[in-house]
Amino acid sequence: MDVEESNQNLNVMASSGATGSISVLLHPLVVMNISEHWTRVRAQEGKAQQVIGALIGQQKGRSLEIMNSFELVFAVIDNIVIDRDYYNTKEEQFKQVFSDMDFLGWYTTGDAPNESDIHVHKQICEINESPVILKLNPFTRNADLPVTMYESVIDLVNGEATMLFVELSYTLATEEAERIGVDHVARMASGDSAESSQVAEQLQAQHNAVKMLANRVRLILEYIRAMERGEVPKSHEVLREAKSLTHRLPVLNSEIFQEEYYTQYNDVLLQTYLASITKACHDLHQFVTKFNILCDRQGIMGRRMRGLFF
Amino acid sequence: MSSQSNIALSNWLMANNVENISSVDEIYRYDRKQQQDMLAAKPWDKDPHFFKEIRISALALLKMVTHARSGGHLEVMGLLLGKVDANTMVVMDAFALPVEGTETRVNAQSQAYEYMTAYIESAKQARVNRLENAIGWYHSHPGYGCWLSGIDVSTQMLNQNFQEPFVAIVVDPVRTISAGKVCLGAFRTYPKGYKPPNEEPSEYQTIPLNKVEDFGVHCKQYYALEVSYFKSSLDRRLLDSLWNKYWVSTLSSSSLTTNADYTTGQVSDLSEKLEQAENSLGRAALVSSGVGVSGSSIEDRRSEDRLAKAARDATKTSIEALHGLLAQKWYHSKQTPNSNTNSTPDINRPDSTNWADPTPATSDIAFPIPAAAIVEIPSMLPTVKSM
Repeated sequence: MDVEESNQNLNVMASSGATGSISVLLHPLVVMNISEHWTRVRAQEGKAQQVIGALIGQQKGRSLEIMNSFELVFAVIDNIVIDRDYYNTKEEQFKQVFSDMDFLGWYTTGDAPNESDIHVHKQICEINESPVILKLNPFTRNADLPVTMYESVIDLVNGEATMLFVELSYTLATEEAERIGVDHVARMASGDSAESSQVAEQLQAQHNAVKMLANRVRLILEYIRAMERGEVPKSHEVLREAKSLTHRLPVLNSEIFQEEYYTQYNDVLLQTYLASITKACHDLHQFVTKFNILCDRQGIMGRRMRGLFF
Repeated sequence: MSSQSNIALSNWLMANNVENISSVDEIYRYDRKQQQDMLAAKPWDKDPHFFKEIRISALALLKMVTHARSGGHLEVMGLLLGKVDANTMVVMDAFALPVEGTETRVNAQSQAYEYMTAYIESAKQARVNRLENAIGWYHSHPGYGCWLSGIDVSTQMLNQNFQEPFVAIVVDPVRTISAGKVCLGAFRTYPKGYKPPNEEPSEYQTIPLNKVEDFGVHCKQYYALEVSYFKSSLDRRLLDSLWNKYWVSTLSSSSLTTNADYTTGQVSDLSEKLEQAENSLGRAALVSSGVGVSGSSIEDRRSEDRLAKAARDATKTSIEALHGLLAQKWYHSKQTPNSNTNSTPDINRPDSTNWADPTPATSDIAFPIPAAAIVEIPSMLPTVKSM
C-alpha cells in the first residue's frame, strides 16, 4: 500500500491546467544557500544527509519571488518532524532584517518527491496555507539545473482527499549585482590568478554569452534542416516557435529608439573624449614642467636661457 | 574506455555510500579543537600584520552583494561567520543585521547586538551544523569605493581589541555593477601608535571629492588583506548549470542605463577635481616665478598629483562607460541582421539567420574596442615617478 501511494505522489496532472496557477521567480542566492547547507552537513557528518529548510520571499498576487532561505531543524521519529520552536525564532529574526519578506515554502535535497515529503509538507501547511516545495538533487550528472519546484493540490484519489504534488515551472531572477557575483565566482577556478585587463575580462564574459547564443541558434538551425531532409519527424510546434522567434528579430527599429540610442552612444564617446583630453593635459603639463626645469637649470648658471626655445 | 571505467567507479562509489569528501570541500568542516587551540594561542597579538589573506565562500560573497544592493543608497551592515586557518581568515557565511545606515554611529545599536547573539546562539544550539564563530563584519559604501572611513576605523579598532580575530569587509554594489566585477575589500587596522613598514599603496581607486579627506587621514591606519574566493564541488556544478540560464541576461543587461546617475555623479566629481587642480596649478605658477627651483617642484608635484589623479579618474569612468556601450552595440547589431553589419550573407536560405558565423567583426564594434584599449592601457602602465 505504501509503495502504491508513493508512486501516486508523483502524479503530474495535465501540464496546461495545473502549472499555470503560480509563476515562480527564483534567485540564484537560494540555490547557493541550499548547496552550502548540504555541503556543510556532509563535511561535518562525514556522509550526505537530507537537509530541510525554509524559503522566504515576496508574493504579489500570483507570482512568487523567492529571494532567500534558511535552515530548519528536524528530528527523525519514524517520520520527519519539524521543530516548530526553532522555526518561530528564526521567523522573528528574519522579520527584523527582511521586513517585507514572508514565508513562502520549504526546500529539501533528494530526487523525486516521495512519501516523507508529503508528511513534511503537511506540517508546513500548518504554518502557511499553500507552501511551495523546492527539491535540489545534489547527485545529478547532467548539465541542467537540478532544481525542481512543486506545489500541492488536494485531490480525490480512491474516494479520499489526498495531497499530491504538481510540478511548477520557474524562472531565474536576474538582478544585476547578483549576476555579476555569480559570474565572478563561477569563472574563477580554485587556484586563482590575478585578472589582467578589464577590457579582456569584459570581452571574455560577452564572448561566453555569445558562444552560448551561437550554439543554441546553430542547434535550432540543424534541427530545422534535418526536418527538411526528412530525418526527423516534422514537429509543427517547433516550427511555429522558430518562426515566431525570427519574426521577433528586428525588435526595436523605430525612430525614437534610434535617436535615443545614438544619443547614448554620443554621450559615451563624449565622455571618452573628456578623458583623453584630461590625460593629454596632464601629459602636456608634465612635459612642460620637465622642460622648464631643464631650462631653468641652465638659467641658474647663466642668465641667458629663459623661456623655451632659445 | 577510461570514461566507461570512470562511470563504473563513480557508480560503485555512490552505491556503496563511500563518501570521499574531496579536498575542496574539506574547508567546510569545522574542527572545534583546532579552532579552540588557535583561539587560546592568539598568535595575532604579537604580530599586527599576522593575517595576510582572506578566503571568502561563494555564498558569503553573494549574500553580501545582494544585501548591499538591496540597500540602494543607504549603507547596510552585517556580520561574518567563519574561522581561522594559519595566516588566513576564512569567511564561510554572512548574515544581515537590522540597523539603519547613517554612518554616524560608532556602536551598532542594542537591537543589532541582540539579533547578533540570538542568531549565533540558535545556529549553534540547533543541529544545523553552523558551528563557526563571528569572524568579522561587513558594510557597504554605495558608490564611493572600498575603504574604511574614520568611524569605520575606530569601530574596527574597538572590535579588534575585544573580539579578536576580527576583519572588516567593505563592499560597493554600485561600482560592482558599473565596472562589471565585484568591488570588495577586506581590512584590518593596526593598533594605535603602530607604524607600519613602508608598503606599497594598494590598488588605486577613485574617491569622490567630499570623501577624499576622510580617506587620506586614515588610510595609513589599516591594511588590506588579499582576497580570494572558494566554492564547493556542488557549488561548481550548480553554477555551471546556472550559467546555462544566465547567459541571456548577460547579453541583455545594459549597465549604462542601470548606473546612469552614478556615471553623472562621477563626471561632476571629476569636474570639481579638475577645478581644484587648476587652482593649485595657478598657485604653483606664481610661486615658481618668484622662488627658486626647489620650491616650485614641491608645489608642482602636488598639483601634478591632483591632475594625475583627475586624469586617472576620468579614464576609469570612461572605460566603464565604454564597456557598457560595447555590450549595447553588440546587442543592437545582432538584433538587426538585415542591416549591413554582418559580412556573411546567406541569401539562398531565407529562413536562416546571419548568425551561422558567430564572429561579430563589424566595423561598428571595432571602434569601441580600440578606444577602450587606448584609454585603458596607458593608464595601466606604472606612472613614471619623475624627478
